[in-house]
Amino acid sequence: MKRTKNHETHPGMQHHETQVDAMDRILAAEEEMVPSSGFVSAVMERVREEAAAPAPIPFPWKRAVPGLVLVAGVLGWGAWAAVRFAWPALHGFAHSSPQIPVTAMPALEEAGWVVLALAVSLASWMLSMRLVRRSGML
Amino acid sequence: MEVERVLAGDTEAFEGIVRRWQGPLVNMAWRYCRDRARAEEMAQEAFVRAWRGLAGWRRESSFSTWLFALAANAYRSELKRFPAVVVPLEEIAEPASPANQYEAAAEQRRHEAVRRAVLALPLRYREPVVLYYFHEMDVGAAARTMGLPEGTVKARLARGRELLRKRFPHLNETGAPGASAALRTGGEALR
Repeated sequence: MKRTKNHETHPGMQHHETQVDAMDRILAAEEEMVPSSGFVSAVMERVREEAAAPAPIPFPWKRAVPGLVLVAGVLGWGAWAAVRFAWPALHGFAHSSPQIPVTAMPALEEAGWVVLALAVSLASWMLSMRLVRRSGML
Repeated sequence: MEVERVLAGDTEAFEGIVRRWQGPLVNMAWRYCRDRARAEEMAQEAFVRAWRGLAGWRRESSFSTWLFALAANAYRSELKRFPAVVVPLEEIAEPASPANQYEAAAEQRRHEAVRRAVLALPLRYREPVVLYYFHEMDVGAAARTMGLPEGTVKARLARGRELLRKRFPHLNETGAPGASAALRTGGEALR
């Protein structure tokens, strides 16, 4: 662990030679901390536990992929349908009438549901990720 | 080498690695949190992560570089989850100049205030400062540990030191002649 110190690489030290040296002296001369006597055994105990634990079950991609593809397809179709129905309505809204055409109402309603479903999915995913991070599994 | 033995399935060989690197990793953790018990917990977690990820060490860099980078990542994420208890930088008072019979104690308090002030720096400046001094003022080593370009680390280091200097404007009063010699002595005592 012996390393060569490079005193010439101090960034921004040109105008503060004395100050930098004082700060260096304080911060570099940190007292050495000796780990407690049980440290190695505590680490090894955890390592042995990890070694003895069964390997984590791999994510069942083969089974999940069809479902994921289906979900992605449904979402894609929903988004496409929402855009297809909502676009003329929005286009009409911008160009002619400030009122939403009656024919566009079901489409907008569908689009609203799609957006809501996406938002709920996103929120539940974010919540679960947060819980997993807090639990220390990630 | 112990790493080869561990990779070959000899879990007990990892003990040699822990014995060899426990001091540096605990000391590094101490500089991140300045809490002895927590430093050991953080170092323990870093070792467990090292054990899990040993197969991922690609040998493009030295083992120590890989281990320090892994430990720095572990400490960073641990401190994001549970930040170290720090006093805001602007609330850290600079102790009065030592000028009485309690000079040594006053000096000690001053040094401790400076070290604690490092923890109060924003993370982007704190980590380069911590690692720069941990690596005995080697910017390259600090940059490798952080996984950042040297230029970035130098810039952040300069900013961090500038913030510290603003907080402790009278530091130069204690640093004058012999500071460099003291620095050398202190630095060599590190490891």
